[in-house]
Amino acid sequence: MTVHIEEAPAPPPPVEGTRGPGENRRPPRRRVPSGLVPYLLLAPAVTAILAVLGYALFRNVLISLQEFGRKQLISRTTEWTGLDNYKAVLQNERFWDSLVRTFLFMAANVVLIMIIGTLLGLLLNALGKKMRLVLAISLVAAWAMPVIATTTVFRWLFDTQFGVANWLMRTLGFSGYDQHNWFGSGFSTLTIVTLLIVWTSVPFVALNLYAGLTTVSGEIWEAARMDGASSTRIFWSILLPIMRPFFMITTFLEIIWVFKAFAQIYAMNGGGPDRQSETLPVMAYVEGMGQNQYGMAAAISVLTLVILMIAMSFYFRLILKQEKENS
Amino acid sequence: MKRKLIAAIGVATMAATVAACGSGDDGGGGGSSDAITVWLMDGSAPEEWVDELNAAFEAEHGITVNVEIQQWDGIQDRVTTALSEDGTVDVLEIGNTQTVGYANTGGLAELGDLAGEPWNEAMLESAEVDDTLYAAPWYGANRVVIYDKGIWEEAGAEVPTTREEWITALETLRENSDAEPIYLPGQSYYVMGGFVADEGGSFAVEDGDGWAGALATPEAQAGMEFYGELQEFSTAPAEIDEAEPQQSVDIVPNGEVASWIGLGWEAAGAVAAIEEQGGEADFGYFPIPGETPDQLGHVFLGGSNLAVSGRAGNSEMANEWLAMATSQEWAQKFVDANGGGVVPNRTDVTATPEEGSFAEAMVASADVGYLPPLTTGWANVETDPNPIKELMTKALNGEDYQAAAGEADSEITDRINRE
Repeated sequence: MTVHIEEAPAPPPPVEGTRGPGENRRPPRRRVPSGLVPYLLLAPAVTAILAVLGYALFRNVLISLQEFGRKQLISRTTEWTGLDNYKAVLQNERFWDSLVRTFLFMAANVVLIMIIGTLLGLLLNALGKKMRLVLAISLVAAWAMPVIATTTVFRWLFDTQFGVANWLMRTLGFSGYDQHNWFGSGFSTLTIVTLLIVWTSVPFVALNLYAGLTTVSGEIWEAARMDGASSTRIFWSILLPIMRPFFMITTFLEIIWVFKAFAQIYAMNGGGPDRQSETLPVMAYVEGMGQNQYGMAAAISVLTLVILMIAMSFYFRLILKQEKENS
Repeated sequence: MKRKLIAAIGVATMAATVAACGSGDDGGGGGSSDAITVWLMDGSAPEEWVDELNAAFEAEHGITVNVEIQQWDGIQDRVTTALSEDGTVDVLEIGNTQTVGYANTGGLAELGDLAGEPWNEAMLESAEVDDTLYAAPWYGANRVVIYDKGIWEEAGAEVPTTREEWITALETLRENSDAEPIYLPGQSYYVMGGFVADEGGSFAVEDGDGWAGALATPEAQAGMEFYGELQEFSTAPAEIDEAEPQQSVDIVPNGEVASWIGLGWEAAGAVAAIEEQGGEADFGYFPIPGETPDQLGHVFLGGSNLAVSGRAGNSEMANEWLAMATSQEWAQKFVDANGGGVVPNRTDVTATPEEGSFAEAMVASADVGYLPPLTTGWANVETDPNPIKELMTKALNGEDYQAAAGEADSEITDRINRE
C-alpha cells in the first residue's frame, strides 16, 4: 500500500495555506503533548514487539553465550562459555555449506517468484472479466493453503512407491521411474521445495502487481501505444519505473520470507538426505531441538539474523535515499 | 516459548498439587500430595495389569496413580522437558538405550534401596552409572521373523535354522509366490546391528577416554552386506525405516507380505489390523538365524526401565510405586499378562511362552542379545538425522561402503562423546 502513497504527487502548496485558519483553533491542543502523541500512538506496538520478540531475542543471545544442552536444562545450571559456540559454528564446514545453500536456494526462489509473479500480474491486467476472476480465485486458493498441508501433499505427489510424479513419468514413456526416489539428493529435494514455495508465493506478487497496475492511468498506455511502443518497451520504459517501489519492496519481502523458510523444507525431508537440504533455519533446528544443543542452535540463529540484517541494510539505504530525494 | 508454555503448565500443575495437598493433608507423613503421575510408553503395559497394580497401590497407601500414556515419537524432547520442570511427572518409563544419558543429566533420582534386587544382568547394565542405580529394569523385548504360514506352505518354503537356509527360503518364495518374500526397509538399523554383532562388530567401540564409531570395519561391512542381501528380496525403498510407514499396520495388512522382522507389539498390531479388515492372520515366528543351527543371530535387546524424576512432587510415593511395580509378585504378573512375550526383568521371574507363539521365538534368542554402547552420548547418535540410517541408505544404493562408513563414524564419534 505504501507504493501508492509514494506514487501520489507531492501535496500542492494550497493545502498548506488552507491550514492557516485551523491553526488558530488548535494551539492549546498542540502545546500540551508537544510532539508526544506520535510516540504514544506507537507505544502499544513497540511494547508488544519488545515483549514478544525483544525478550525472546535477548534470551536467545544469552543462550548463545552458554554451554546449554540437555544436562544444563535439566540440572538448571548456567555455564557461560563466551564466544565458544560462535567459534564452533564458524569452524563447522556444515555451517558454510548451509550458508551457501541458503543463498543459492533463496536466489533461485526469489527470481522465479518475481518473474512468474510479474507475468501473472500482467496477465491478470490483460484478461477479460471472467477469466480474470478464475485466475484470481486460483491464485488466492494457492496462497491460502496451509503450509504443512501443502508440503504433505507435495511429499505424496513425489512419493517413491505410490507418487503421482513417478506414475506420470512412466506414462509419458520415461524409463527408470518405477521407484524413483525424488528425495534421494539434496538438490532434488530443494528443487521440489522450490516448486512448492514458488507456487505458494507467486499469488502475492501477482495480485499486488495487478492492484498496482489498476492505478496506472489508461492515458499513459494510450500515449505510449500512439508513439508506437511495443509491449516489451512499455513494460521496461513505463511500467517498471512507475512500479519500481512495488518491485523493490516485494523482492525484499520475498528475500526475507524465503531466507527464513523452515516448515516447507523441514516437513519435506527433515533437511535430508544426509543433511544435504539443510538451510540455516533448518540447521539451527536440527542442532538445537534434534541434538539438544540449544547454545549452538542459538548461535546459528543469531548469525542468521546478522546475515539477514546485512542483506537488508541495502534495502533500508535505498529507502532512506529515496525519501531524501522525495523531500 | 515452548518452555514458557510448559513452565506455565508446570506452575498450574503445581498449584493444583498444592491445592490437593491442602485438602488431603490428614494422612500426615512426608507425602506432599495424594496423587502421583506415571508416564508409560504406548504399547508397554497391558491395561489390566496397570489397573490391578494401581488399585492395589491405592488400597495400601491411599494415593491415586495417574497413568499417562506417551508415544515413542519425539519422546526425548518430552522427557527432557518433564525432567527440567517441577512436579510434572513422578515415575517414568525410559527406553534402555536412553536411561544412562538421562541419569547423567542429574534428572533421575538414585534408587539405592533397590540395588540389591536380583535384576537381569544385561538389563541392569542399562540402568546404572558408576554402580549407582538410577532406574529399575522393567522388561526386555527383541525382534523375531514373523512369517505368513499359508504363503510359506504354498510356496514350499521351510522355516530356516541358518542364514543360508534363510536365503534359500526367500528364493523359493520369490519363485513360487507373488507375495513379497520379506518386507525389509533400508533403515532398520537395529536389525543391521544384529548382523554386525554376528560378525563380532558393533556400532561404536571404546577409544581411550571416549568412544569412536566402528562402522568402517570389515565386521560392520560384512553385517551390512548380509542386510543388503536380504533387502534385495524386498520392494521397500532404501531410504525409509520400519516406523514410517509403520510396517505392522500400514504395510503388512495391506499387501502380500510373506515375512517381516518385528517386535511383539508390532506382531499384535498387525494381527489386530488384519482382523479389523475381516481377514485372519496366520502368523508363525522364528528367531533370526545365525551362521550355524546352534548359533542364533544376534538381536537388539530392546526394553524399558522405570525411573523416578529427581523433581518428583512426591518422591516417597514414587519410589514406593516403582518398587511395587518391579517387585517379584508384580513383575511375574506383568510377564503373565503379556503371555510370556517379554524378557523378565528379574531372575526370580519366569516366562512360560505358549508353543508357536511370538514369545517362544523371542525368548529363544534373548541370550544372544546385544545392546548399543551404553554411554551418556548414545541417545545423541539415535536422534534424526541418524548417521547409521544414512549410511545404510548409501550402502544399499551402491555407494562405496568404507568411504560412507568413515563419514558416519566421524559423526558418531562427534555425537557419542557429547554429554
